[in-house]
Amino acid sequence: MPIDTLTVRDAEIRVWSQGDGPPLCYLHGFETHPGEAGFLQRLAEDHRVLAPEQPGYGESTGFDQIDDMLDLVLVYRQLIESWTAQTGGDRVDLIGHSLGGMIAAEFAALCPQLVRRLVLVDPFGLWLDDEPLVDPFVLTADELKQAKWHDPAAAPDPEPSIFVPEPEDTTGPILERAKNLSVATKFLWPLPDRGLRKRLPLIQAPTLIIHGQSDGLVSTSYAERFAALVPGATMAVIPEAGHLPMIEREDAFLDAVRPFLAG
Amino acid sequence: MKFHWFAEVTYDDLPADFPQKHHSAWVDTPTQLVDSNRIGEIYRMFIRLMTQADALGFDGLAVNEHHQTAFAMTPSPNLLAASLASNTENAAILVIGDSLALYNPPIRVAEEMAYLDCLSDGRLIAGFVFGTPMDSVFSYGNPPVELRERFHEARKLILRAWETEEPFAHNGKYTQLRYVNPWPRPIQTPPPIWVPGAGSVETWDLVIDENYCYGHLSFSGLQSAKPIVDGFWDYVDKRGGETNPNRMAFTQICCVAETDAQAERDYYEAVKYFYTHNPVAPGFISPPGYQTQDSLKAAIERGAGGISAEDRERAAKGEMSFWEYDEKGYIIAGTPERVRERIRELATSLRVGQLIPTLHMGNLAEEVAAKNTELFGTQVIPYLRDLWADLPDHWTPQVSQDRVAAISPEVAHAAPAGD
Repeated sequence: MPIDTLTVRDAEIRVWSQGDGPPLCYLHGFETHPGEAGFLQRLAEDHRVLAPEQPGYGESTGFDQIDDMLDLVLVYRQLIESWTAQTGGDRVDLIGHSLGGMIAAEFAALCPQLVRRLVLVDPFGLWLDDEPLVDPFVLTADELKQAKWHDPAAAPDPEPSIFVPEPEDTTGPILERAKNLSVATKFLWPLPDRGLRKRLPLIQAPTLIIHGQSDGLVSTSYAERFAALVPGATMAVIPEAGHLPMIEREDAFLDAVRPFLAG
Repeated sequence: MKFHWFAEVTYDDLPADFPQKHHSAWVDTPTQLVDSNRIGEIYRMFIRLMTQADALGFDGLAVNEHHQTAFAMTPSPNLLAASLASNTENAAILVIGDSLALYNPPIRVAEEMAYLDCLSDGRLIAGFVFGTPMDSVFSYGNPPVELRERFHEARKLILRAWETEEPFAHNGKYTQLRYVNPWPRPIQTPPPIWVPGAGSVETWDLVIDENYCYGHLSFSGLQSAKPIVDGFWDYVDKRGGETNPNRMAFTQICCVAETDAQAERDYYEAVKYFYTHNPVAPGFISPPGYQTQDSLKAAIERGAGGISAEDRERAAKGEMSFWEYDEKGYIIAGTPERVRERIRELATSLRVGQLIPTLHMGNLAEEVAAKNTELFGTQVIPYLRDLWADLPDHWTPQVSQDRVAAISPEVAHAAPAGD
């Protein structure tokens, strides 16, 4: 895999990158960085895709220096400024999925000068009292599988991930998953609400909300609320997809994203 | 050797089919299952039993903190401790302990523990706990990845508040206070500190660095605990810590009766209630980040400890006979002679100087618990006083040590070993 390690402040951040063209930054979801998943490789056909592994996940460090969302956004600000400086441009396209969608939305509100176009895929970040979300951390492995896929029986096994376990090592994957999810609890526990609803109206970039219609973790009302709070946002609902539409319905996902980014 | 009376304040009237109908006795258990008048009766029963234990010469009276559970209805151990501090004379008030991350600001713990120490004439033992995942993470909403940091920031703040004579400012990550100056201050400077753990290496380092008393508080007995407790002592030795058994506490359900057959008649139903009416939903047991990577790795490598997964499941389903619970170590039952022999074996094998005998369990009737307390206090404790008696005990208050010694009977025929 084309992976580099970049130093940002005190953090060593792993970054998967591929392709040439306008810079596109992808922020992964709450479970794992998807590695060289098909949708990233296809986005790299006409973009320079830069997909950092969030501090604290996998082999990326620096989580101990992150007290809150503001610290995390500032890590990404330095990372993205280093890329725009390299490419001679001044902005990136930003796609965030799940927890990464929450972070991407915060980033776009706080650093509007760095975001050309914003795509949020089944993002966390809001809480609706009338429609409480399931607790993703309390689900058993099978319950989580049922919740996050439209068709659990057809789910990829293993799921695309930057983590490649050693053969015969049964402990490594358990430790990796516990480490990743523990970092997610910093932002999603006990409820995935850190006040983002107050900041979404400050987003200036054209924004597309993508929602897997069968997402059992973040329901359609949440996508609609995102679309209502971000000025001018459009929404694309992908049928027969759950929390990971870019993996479960790769073609439909790209059919929605590509024209939006080309606009 | 010392003995601290303890029991979980369990709701005793859950329906027989509770374990089949409900996935958890923790966090989201329906509150319609309990009668608040009955809970009041249970609270009063515990105060009576622990007052009895104080008069019988128990070294301590232990109270603990749990939330949103039928298993232990003591959301603030300091409340029960306050009742005991004013109703008793001799025993240490063992708060084991306050869940430091759940008090906001944590100087509340410094204040309430100081109140208890003042009210009890300096008999407080200050226990600091992380809390179970069900308590600290699910019921009180702490992100598990922050729990350890919150605990340590709170612990240092509380100790500094007790030690510092001038007001000071605390600029922490989770707590900021411009004026830290709690009233009252504890009589003891400071009270002895106990920290229980479940085998985390980080907790072992803490108790070694600070010379705290460590507690292995499970209800699975000798066999299950042996690998972890042996690991603890090896680690203490390797780190050059104090290997005095008086710095080690251990819980053990004990069922004492006039004969072994009577013990089975008296306690079997309550023991089964205790183990079967305490299911924890799988999702509440191990949230990500509650254990550090090192501790999780060690726990995976250690496996289920000295008891097989099948036996654990059978114990939780009530499929063991009374004497199999005893044989596997979940309980120690029988005549006083048998019980003291088995405790001596346990305390010697695990190097335990502070036993926390659990003398009420599940839906046990008060008169049986009172008999258990009487027999344990008069016919078990005096015969085990010799164990570790030659070693200093820095982990129980001097006042309670002196007062308990003054009322303890001499046992002329207590043998130094074997009994």
